[in-house]
Amino acid sequence: MSLRDHQAIEELLAADALDALDPQDRARLERELAGHGDCEECRRLEVEFRDIAGRLAFTLEPVAAHPTAADRILERARGLPPVPLPPPAAHERPDELARRRGGPGRRVSTLVGVAAAIALLVGAFAVVANRTGGTTVASASPEQTVVRFTPTGSGEGELAMAYTPGQPGAVFWGSGLPDPGEGKAYEIWMITGDHPVSGGCVRPVDGSVAFSVDANVSSADTMAVTAEPGGCPAAPTGVPVLTAPLTA
Amino acid sequence: MGTVDVSEAHDRELVQRLRRGDEDAFRGLFGRYAPAAKALALRVVRQSHLAEEIVQEAFMAVWRNPDGYDSERGSVRSWLMGMVHHRAVDLVRREEAYRRRAEDSIPEAMQEQADHAQDVVEMLGLPEERRIVRAALDELPDEQRDVLLLMYFGGLSQSQVAERSGIPLGTVKSRTLLGMRRMRAALEGVRP
Repeated sequence: MSLRDHQAIEELLAADALDALDPQDRARLERELAGHGDCEECRRLEVEFRDIAGRLAFTLEPVAAHPTAADRILERARGLPPVPLPPPAAHERPDELARRRGGPGRRVSTLVGVAAAIALLVGAFAVVANRTGGTTVASASPEQTVVRFTPTGSGEGELAMAYTPGQPGAVFWGSGLPDPGEGKAYEIWMITGDHPVSGGCVRPVDGSVAFSVDANVSSADTMAVTAEPGGCPAAPTGVPVLTAPLTA
Repeated sequence: MGTVDVSEAHDRELVQRLRRGDEDAFRGLFGRYAPAAKALALRVVRQSHLAEEIVQEAFMAVWRNPDGYDSERGSVRSWLMGMVHHRAVDLVRREEAYRRRAEDSIPEAMQEQADHAQDVVEMLGLPEERRIVRAALDELPDEQRDVLLLMYFGGLSQSQVAERSGIPLGTVKSRTLLGMRRMRAALEGVRP
């Protein structure tokens, strides 16, 4: 790569470290990084600029957090074990970096072996699925349950979820899902009463999704999907486009 | 990259302990960086309760997924502040009205709470870090510093900076790069 090539990528990485890239430049950064392949210089620039950005935060006068805030976080997290991610590749592209740092897709593991699991579950689902009203609920095996989401008035596409009641983890797959919009992703919600808890975000590829979450969906009484802006917010900001009651 | 200072080594040890589910390590990391994280979130979103939520969400992510930290990608503190900053910027770009609504009351609120956190922060040697980074910022040409601060603390994208400042987007981009290069040169190898 020429010096000019790294100058272009340096300019993009500098702005990216400040979270200041516009969408078209983010796409350009992804293309540039993909073009550079396994690029040690790119990694060095990224680390250096992120370090600068992180250090800018320390120019501010500190603001005390609530004395019990750490314990409140731990309390909230109990029952939700830390979510392991696979080890990072030598150099990931920005969309992968965004996922790891908490952008769209965080807390959603697109597992390597998920396709095989889905194939098994879909096969089982096809045999035993039983449409009841708008939602199909079926037992894929004596232990597993498959739930099909129902589009709301504004929603379309198909989404199904397989899980084992009482155990953490669920596998989702879907097709015919419209693009959620530029900078947006679909966010899965586990709703108990009126309290939604995020199960993570995912963007469809050609209308299809296949992913897993580690949360225990059995504790919810309803599942829902909304289209959310980047960042995978902690509370829904949009109306559900797909829903699935788990008590059906 | 380069040497790892004592403070960073301690941070990495805390993250290692987090991976084993050590709650005391979490409290340690939280106590160490939550004040700076909240200051950052508050500066960007301009509302105390939103800043609190952002900090909680970021540290919840740390607790739930400590493997998200990769030492090859920089320091623990940069990782943490990055997570807080991403969330804060996401929020202001969605809810810009929040910021305008509370704009006037924030400096006072920040000053009031800063006093409570000062003792903790001083123990951690962070005032020296603040002095070092502020000095580096002060050395920047005004136009470069303004662009960096609008983006980092204002949560603005480069095109938004161009629009609000009335300067060409290409100029904003070049000032960003020049400013970041200067900061990198000024801070390289300089730690408290």
